[in-house]
Amino acid sequence: MDPQGLIAKTSYHYFLLDVGIMLLIVVPTAALAIWAMIRYRKGGKGTYQPKWAHSWTIEAIVWGIPLITVGVLSYLSVKAIYAVNPYNPGAISQAQKKAGGDPLEVDVIATDWRWLFIYPKQHIATTNELVVPKGIPVRFRLTSTSVVNDFIIPQLVGMIDVMPGMRTKQALVSDHIGSYVGFSADYSGAGLSWMHFTTKVVSKHQFSSWVSTIQTDPQKLTLNGFNRFARPYIPVGEKSQPKFGEVQQGLFDLVVNEVMKGKTWKTPMDMTENMVAYLNNQNELQKEGYY
Amino acid sequence: MFVHLQGPWSPLLGRLSAEQLPFLHIPIIEYTFAVVVLLGLVVVGAVTYLGKWGYLWRGWLTTVDHKRIGVMYILIGLVMLLRGFADAFMIRLQQAMAVGPHSPGYMGAIHGYLTPFHIGQIFAAHGLIMVVFAATPLLVGLMNIIVPLQIGARDMAYPYLNAMGLWLTAGGAALVMASLFIGNFAHGGWYGFVPYFELSYSPGVGVDYWMWAFQLSAIGTSLGSINLIATIVKMRAPGMTWMRLPIFTWASLSTNLIALTSFPVLMVSLALLGLDRYLGTHFYTAGMGGNLMLYNDLFWIWGHPEVYFLILPAFGIMSEIIPTFSEKTLFGYATMVIASFAIGGVSWGVWLHHFFTMAAAPSVNSFYSVTTMLVGIPTGVKVFNWIFTMYRGRVRFELPMMWALLALFLLLVGGMTGMMNAFASNDYMWHNGIFVVAHFHMMVLLIAASIFGAVEYWFPKVFGFRLEQKWGKLFFWFMVLGTGFVFVPMFILGLAGMTRRLDYIPYAAWAPYMQIEMIGIALYVMALAFFLAHLYVSLRDRSKNLAEADAWGTGRSLEWMTHSPVPSYNFAITPHINTRDEWAWRKENGLTELHAGEYEPIHMPKNTGVPLVIGAFFFALAFGLTWRIWWLSLISVVLIVLMIILRSFQKDTDMTIPPEEVERTEKRAIDTLYPSSRADVPVYPGGTVGTATAYQRLSASEDVGVSSTGTLPHASVDR
Ligand SMILES: [Cu+2]
Ligand SMILES: [Cu+2]
Repeated sequence: MDPQGLIAKTSYHYFLLDVGIMLLIVVPTAALAIWAMIRYRKGGKGTYQPKWAHSWTIEAIVWGIPLITVGVLSYLSVKAIYAVNPYNPGAISQAQKKAGGDPLEVDVIATDWRWLFIYPKQHIATTNELVVPKGIPVRFRLTSTSVVNDFIIPQLVGMIDVMPGMRTKQALVSDHIGSYVGFSADYSGAGLSWMHFTTKVVSKHQFSSWVSTIQTDPQKLTLNGFNRFARPYIPVGEKSQPKFGEVQQGLFDLVVNEVMKGKTWKTPMDMTENMVAYLNNQNELQKEGYY
Repeated sequence: MFVHLQGPWSPLLGRLSAEQLPFLHIPIIEYTFAVVVLLGLVVVGAVTYLGKWGYLWRGWLTTVDHKRIGVMYILIGLVMLLRGFADAFMIRLQQAMAVGPHSPGYMGAIHGYLTPFHIGQIFAAHGLIMVVFAATPLLVGLMNIIVPLQIGARDMAYPYLNAMGLWLTAGGAALVMASLFIGNFAHGGWYGFVPYFELSYSPGVGVDYWMWAFQLSAIGTSLGSINLIATIVKMRAPGMTWMRLPIFTWASLSTNLIALTSFPVLMVSLALLGLDRYLGTHFYTAGMGGNLMLYNDLFWIWGHPEVYFLILPAFGIMSEIIPTFSEKTLFGYATMVIASFAIGGVSWGVWLHHFFTMAAAPSVNSFYSVTTMLVGIPTGVKVFNWIFTMYRGRVRFELPMMWALLALFLLLVGGMTGMMNAFASNDYMWHNGIFVVAHFHMMVLLIAASIFGAVEYWFPKVFGFRLEQKWGKLFFWFMVLGTGFVFVPMFILGLAGMTRRLDYIPYAAWAPYMQIEMIGIALYVMALAFFLAHLYVSLRDRSKNLAEADAWGTGRSLEWMTHSPVPSYNFAITPHINTRDEWAWRKENGLTELHAGEYEPIHMPKNTGVPLVIGAFFFALAFGLTWRIWWLSLISVVLIVLMIILRSFQKDTDMTIPPEEVERTEKRAIDTLYPSSRADVPVYPGGTVGTATAYQRLSASEDVGVSSTGTLPHASVDR
């Protein structure tokens, strides 16, 4: 836990509060249990009252302590949920006001088993690499082609499900320049463990120069090309993944629609029983331009 | 064919072919298969050599005795626990080996020794087995044995249905085991991911195995819950009012109410998945109008109550053991009952916390966050009540008590981390992460600890001798150590952001934690060895550890009143209940040796082989469906229906034990337990003795004025 962004920091703040209050209750309870075990062990000093089994005072305390604790925690929890709600994070809106201008929009499509990041305003797309400018709020729309994934960058923002045929949202603001890892957290099949991406937080200036470099990339991404791109592929190793200098307008919505209409990218049976052979085959296919 | 399948299919064998037998070409499964075959041969050989087939058939396989059915449930649970542990071992080994990009790979894997496809199956099998085929049968078995004894009943309300539930569960367990050697298992988690479990993404038979095994056990457990509820409501001994009900029975009642209301939802959610996979419907698909959230809702409407279905009996066990070994009444009986039902009640309204990250509106997440935390209130109350039960008691640290106290401390850790998960903004950070895994393992280990406690505690009641303590204590302490070594690093990794179900961990920095977890697993393996030694030594020295009726000397509830081991009819004379903690009350008032005069004939159900046969046909049905061998499934269905019809015409389903035989059994029980001096026996089982001593004591106790209560156990009530 090393929060580097606004949302992660907010979560962390409430996390500390929550744990603190819990420890305040749990530690004394454990101590009480140990004390009772020692004090009232057989042959110990404790008085023995076999019939003593009821006391209104103790009953009141016994119900009262959990009741108050849960009350306080519930209040905090609701507050926290609203603070980091991915659809309208109050914190992000405030950061937006401060930063001025427009937020950066990024469309995220999870395939089996890669992440495609589309920058609709900039008409570019990258694979397994997310680059965002420091201090500027980033708003994501997310969907998946095949199965459910979970999008998370632990140091910047918590998990949000990425579901096929549906669109979810997420937002983040980063505080420091640096490189952070993002994952898919929900089980999505054989390539899950390799389905991570790097998040680079760069300065505003660096960001715009990065955008123009990508824009010069000759590769274009259309829906047809995407259908090829989305075939099951395990991105083992740190090989650089495709970047696209031009992206078909509205590709994100087109993909959501295709999936809603029933398009699937089937998993071939027994594709990974022999991983090494499978990957050799995959490399061959890649050379032939299959993906 | 109903839907398009990848791979071949033939009318005779369905999807089954030689390539589907992994033990022919995967070395790990090859060895396992060899060992299993060898073990099977040893068992079959031993039974044949000893000439015990008849005994096995008459005494166990066809029995409807609730105690023996319970024992068989527990045996299934233990075998599956072992299998689940082997899975855990393989997972931990893989994760310890496959850390960082430079970790080597073996046997077709890039890192570690398991391919993603293979470890995916192990993850799914581990979860399903531990929850559905280990914890559930273990607890159902315990409830089966103990509840009728605690309420003074002769058997369950529906003994035949009871056997039916057992053999359906056994069929499900057998199906999971079959997947090990024939075909493969689901590789997408035990609770099923949609649309991952649709044919497009899980084209093999694994998901079908998972689905049908799950379905069989769900039917079995539902039948069992109907039976236990009926038993508790209708079969209580005279005088056992609701507020005199032993606390474990209360827990069983609340837990089975949960089961009865939630398991049918599971059956439906699995059946809809079946329609998708077999008929090509679109309930849970992403496209074509399907809605995958439907599955998540339906599944967890069962899934969360299931958690409390497991935990309430565990709490019940703790509430029985702690007073016995504190030599004191349970603190706050009424509160405990209310708390059990409060937990059960809340359990229906929290399921959404299993998908907090699905981007529901903040108001929705807030609601479920708060309801989830509400569970903390009755649970907290229970913890305090147990502590106050020890307060002003005389706490004896014998094995059952040690397990119960371990469960208490695990509950503190599990409860605290559970509250942390319920705090939704925390959950966003680690929802599909290792922290959640570590949390629910605390809860499951708590359940396991109380099960071990319960087995130690009630073992003498069922088998007539206590388990030895030396190896048992080693087993206990190594379990404690193993738990620490495995789960402390797991909590740390969880906070560091490690996610679930990884077959390869990209961060070399996490390697040390994985290796510490491996030490923990090694400690668990040693614990397992001590457990086996514990069982072996106990069996060998059983004559030294013979137990009296009141095996621990400070038992409080009704089950301690009859002999250990319990005769088939439980109580020679149905006892009258005078108070809560009846047996403790009788001991205080010197009423332990009451006799009701003459024994009366006892009406009991007869053995039947029908449930076993129907269970076997259900297995064949599910196996046929899994492999799409339609003729096999069809024949099985016809035979099942036929068996049910035939059985319903069978009139001769019960028998009567004549009074002479009851007397003989009672005498024999007393003679084996107290062969030397009958007169000096400290404690006699209630309402049993046919000797002069007992009559003398009865008149003595009447002098004390007990008869004024007017509820001496005179009447024998036939059900
Ligand atoms: Cu586990
Ligand atoms: Cu839950």
